[in-house]
Amino acid sequence: MNTGKSSRFVAPLAVLIGGTIVSVAIGVGHGWSNGLIGEVATIVISFGYWLATGSKSDLGAVYRNKVDERQQIVYWRASALSVRVMLLAAFVIAVVTVALKANYWQADLIGSLGGLTFILGLANYGANDEQSEHDDVDPVQRDRSSGAVD
Amino acid sequence: MRNRVREERVQRGISQAEIAAALGVSRQTVISIESGRYSPSLPLAFRIARLFDVSVEQMFDPEEEVGE
Repeated sequence: MNTGKSSRFVAPLAVLIGGTIVSVAIGVGHGWSNGLIGEVATIVISFGYWLATGSKSDLGAVYRNKVDERQQIVYWRASALSVRVMLLAAFVIAVVTVALKANYWQADLIGSLGGLTFILGLANYGANDEQSEHDDVDPVQRDRSSGAVD
Repeated sequence: MRNRVREERVQRGISQAEIAAALGVSRQTVISIESGRYSPSLPLAFRIARLFDVSVEQMFDPEEEVGE
């Protein structure tokens, strides 16, 4: 089930672009020297991703988006764990910020999005698959025809 | 779930990498299947059985758990 045409540059490039956006935001809000530190850190992390995608390990396969069925399951489990931790963190942050009378909408937004997408995911991936209303084999008829019931 | 992948592979003198390439999976997955840590999906189980020219029942034994 190799899914991929994705090269080993996609994940590092995504990290580089995302990190650069964050670094620019840091530069605008907190000074360009801080932004420069953020950009250096981004380049280092991006290089780390590039090294990881080059390996023949499961991690490399996940980062290259070229996974087989076992690696896909590993990836799904890791993603599920990550989402659970993020939602728990959002809950804790919301509770703390409410208690401190601070703005809590960010944590509320993350938690709400997580819950909503979970429900959408259930609907989209088949949790509502309806079972057949009637079994297509009547057990009484079957037993009669096989002679099990007189 | 116990299986005969390793026995069949060694008997035929094929490497794990060759099996992985033939099945379109990673070598780590072949290792996990052989050790019984990972039970393959039905399509992959059929591909494995077909590769070794045996039935799925001959290749995989669901009654026998690894480590028993």
